[in-house]
Amino acid sequence: MKFQIPIGPQHPALKEPISLRMTVEGEIIRDADIRLGYNHRGLEKLAEQKTWIQNIYLTERICGICSHSHTTCYVQGVEKLMELEPPKRGLYIRTLVAELERVHSHLLWLGVAGHEAGFDSFFMYTWRDREIVMDILEIITGNRVHYGINTIGGVRRDLDEQQIKHILDSLSVLRQRSEYYKHLGTNEPSFVARLAGVGYLSREDAIALCAVGPTLRASGVPMDVRKDDPYAVYDEVPFEVCTAETGDVLGRTVVRIKELFQCYNIIEYLLKNLPSGPVAVRAPRRAKPNEVVSRYEAPRGENIHYIKSNGTDKPERLKVRAPTLGNYAATIKMLKNGFIADVPLIFAAIDPCICCAERAVSLVDARTGQEKIIVMNDLKRLSRRLSAGNIRKREAEWPL
Amino acid sequence: MATVKTLIYLVIYPGLLFLFLYSTFVEWYDRKLYARLQNRMGPRHTGRFGLLQPIADFFKLMSKEDIVPDRADRKMFSALPAVGLAIVFTAMLLLPVWNYSLDRPSVISFNGDLIVLLYLLSLPTFIFFLAGWSSTNLFSTIGGARVLTMLFGYEVPLFLAVLSPAVLANSWRLAEIAAFYRQRPALSLVNLLGFVIALICVQAKLERTPFDIPHAETEIVGGTFTEYSGKKLALFRLMMDAEMVVAAGLLATVFLGGFPGGALLGLVNFIIKTLVVIFFLSLIRATTSRIRVDQVVSFAWKYLAPLAILQLLIVILVKGLIS
Amino acid sequence: MNDQTLIDKAKASLGDKVLDITNPAPRRIFIKLKVDDLLAAVNWLKNEMGFTHLATITGVDLGQAFELIYHFANSFTCVNLRTEIPRDNPLLPSICQLIPGAVLYERELQDMFGIVVQNIPDGRPLVLPDDWPAGNYPLRKDWKYERPPEVIPGGKR
Repeated sequence: MKFQIPIGPQHPALKEPISLRMTVEGEIIRDADIRLGYNHRGLEKLAEQKTWIQNIYLTERICGICSHSHTTCYVQGVEKLMELEPPKRGLYIRTLVAELERVHSHLLWLGVAGHEAGFDSFFMYTWRDREIVMDILEIITGNRVHYGINTIGGVRRDLDEQQIKHILDSLSVLRQRSEYYKHLGTNEPSFVARLAGVGYLSREDAIALCAVGPTLRASGVPMDVRKDDPYAVYDEVPFEVCTAETGDVLGRTVVRIKELFQCYNIIEYLLKNLPSGPVAVRAPRRAKPNEVVSRYEAPRGENIHYIKSNGTDKPERLKVRAPTLGNYAATIKMLKNGFIADVPLIFAAIDPCICCAERAVSLVDARTGQEKIIVMNDLKRLSRRLSAGNIRKREAEWPL
Repeated sequence: MATVKTLIYLVIYPGLLFLFLYSTFVEWYDRKLYARLQNRMGPRHTGRFGLLQPIADFFKLMSKEDIVPDRADRKMFSALPAVGLAIVFTAMLLLPVWNYSLDRPSVISFNGDLIVLLYLLSLPTFIFFLAGWSSTNLFSTIGGARVLTMLFGYEVPLFLAVLSPAVLANSWRLAEIAAFYRQRPALSLVNLLGFVIALICVQAKLERTPFDIPHAETEIVGGTFTEYSGKKLALFRLMMDAEMVVAAGLLATVFLGGFPGGALLGLVNFIIKTLVVIFFLSLIRATTSRIRVDQVVSFAWKYLAPLAILQLLIVILVKGLIS
Repeated sequence: MNDQTLIDKAKASLGDKVLDITNPAPRRIFIKLKVDDLLAAVNWLKNEMGFTHLATITGVDLGQAFELIYHFANSFTCVNLRTEIPRDNPLLPSICQLIPGAVLYERELQDMFGIVVQNIPDGRPLVLPDDWPAGNYPLRKDWKYERPPEVIPGGKR
């Protein structure tokens, strides 16, 4: 017996609206389809009407988890357009926040993976320790989620000695806890039984379907924009690209945990080698007509912005490709021939950020093409009128 | 006088009122323990230490809107929670909660009540299945199918594990089994393996992590209970708590020597021993992640069932030695 | 391999198909092509140069034409193939035969610019609703969104 199960647009496993339609036979998925578009905000269109500075805060709001990724990607592109050279100290702080964000995103993901696998204790523990990173970010930038630290030409806030000491102290706690999670995540029998072999993506498929980030690296492809196309100060910082060979959800977990340790090393290096000097330079209001492709390794994978300027103080075109969109094609591949029980895990394993992947349409009433506010009473009347003539359908088919 | 006594048994102790209060307490205990194991606080505000939280939840659910899906079988859909609750409360009456003598260890006691109790504990599973099936919701249907699939896994090992102490005690009567192990406490060590197996199977029967597959909310929303709301959901939740008490009571009777010492001391014994069993259940819940339904069945048949048979063999050998 | 050798190879292999080739920044190469030569160039990039990762496809509305930029990347550089198609006849060949992962980007182009991608394996709308009015392509420059006057619910109308 084949039937279709809808996962989403509203579903407890999904934190954001997306629709996954699964055709299942018993417990086994035969076909999967992804339907996007529930979370569109018309950002690319909107960006064409805002100034360079305003767009920093617009791109920051593409996503709540990797907010720094999008601003950095945007800002370093605009700096190229304006031919600015941000000071070293500013770049160091920018990189520091980026790595802290990666730590917080990966800890968040570990918790979500635990929750999707029904391992709520793991979820509670990792999210408790995520608070440490959130606190550090609040100390550095003043905010926990949207840091607002990037500006064109550098960063907006400086670090002092006390803050550096505090971060280094917290880092040792995080290292110790991450060791524990590494042990737990790869040794707890019931957890490993759920992760190992699930959502297999071969190396060839991962490459062909243009997967990015930890999903790609877990299939054994060492692609990391930080190494391949170094931006900010990554050409000075020693670190390794973490990969796994298994290509399943366990591999993606291992990659993320390994990356956590790399992040701690990078943060330590950045803090110990922080150069002195100013943190930002003044930026002009306009940019000459030009274009730039800016790449950035977000916690979820490669983030790419294409920015085109036309000589005014507004961009001609801002194209945003968030990592999640790049992983959807691979997700469909992974879902096929899996179990229903593995859907949330496989889907969560790409660390989906739906609001990242969808950003491009304006708010328009779907039916008429015009936005309209309907008074509540009208709505009630309308619904009564629509339903009055209907015959109660007892034997109606299930609407899916 | 006898009628009044029976009424007291049925309504106050060990019947409705006691089971209601104790199962809400057990829910609090389980939630608090689970929360502390996860580095959280758990219920705190309603009543002292949040003790009244489960009762508050129960009454809150009772006052919520009660929706029956259009396509569901209305009669069956509404009857199931009440029937399930009645079954579990009946099972409670079979537990030998006070032991003045073997003549009158509980409200009802007869030779073979162990089998009846196991049977009554199997019925809620079918209630869950019917609840899922009669909802006609896609998620409920999958949940219902998962309930039955799991049943094929854990039921046989549970029966084998619970019956082997009975074989050693040479009785099918709960009170006599308990009395046997009270007289020879060393012999209950023989059943250690069976106790562990029974704990795991009871965890599966109660559908708690790692076996909370039928209502895994990240996969199939509410599973069997997706369409249930209001009073019916409240009754189902109460039923699951009461089932936990009865199942813990069964394990305590069979493996831990029952509840000696008359009405009062028996009550204290009952509470302590069931809480010990529930402590283990909560510990399993906090330290594992949910496994897949096919993994449950293969785990049950590859490991639990052979081990349960091994336990039975040990019991038969020991029985030959001591006789 | 560095940018210069890649540029030399591109000139040698693609010959006069290359209309223009620029290298504005390290690890950024822009190659301009005719749309008819697109598939051949993608094939060359993928099979001979090892550029298997398509980062995304950007569409830009130039007024009279649509500019499409295919961003390819591998471990040492980032190659951007640039092509133009006329606005009144927006036909584009699909590259999904070569790069299966391109399908989502091509569907997005269809939604946002009204470009017709030929031979696309799955051409349903991706981001726009199913009942989106036909002929509305939000990222075209002449598509303006006008917010209707705000109506206060229950207020004077």
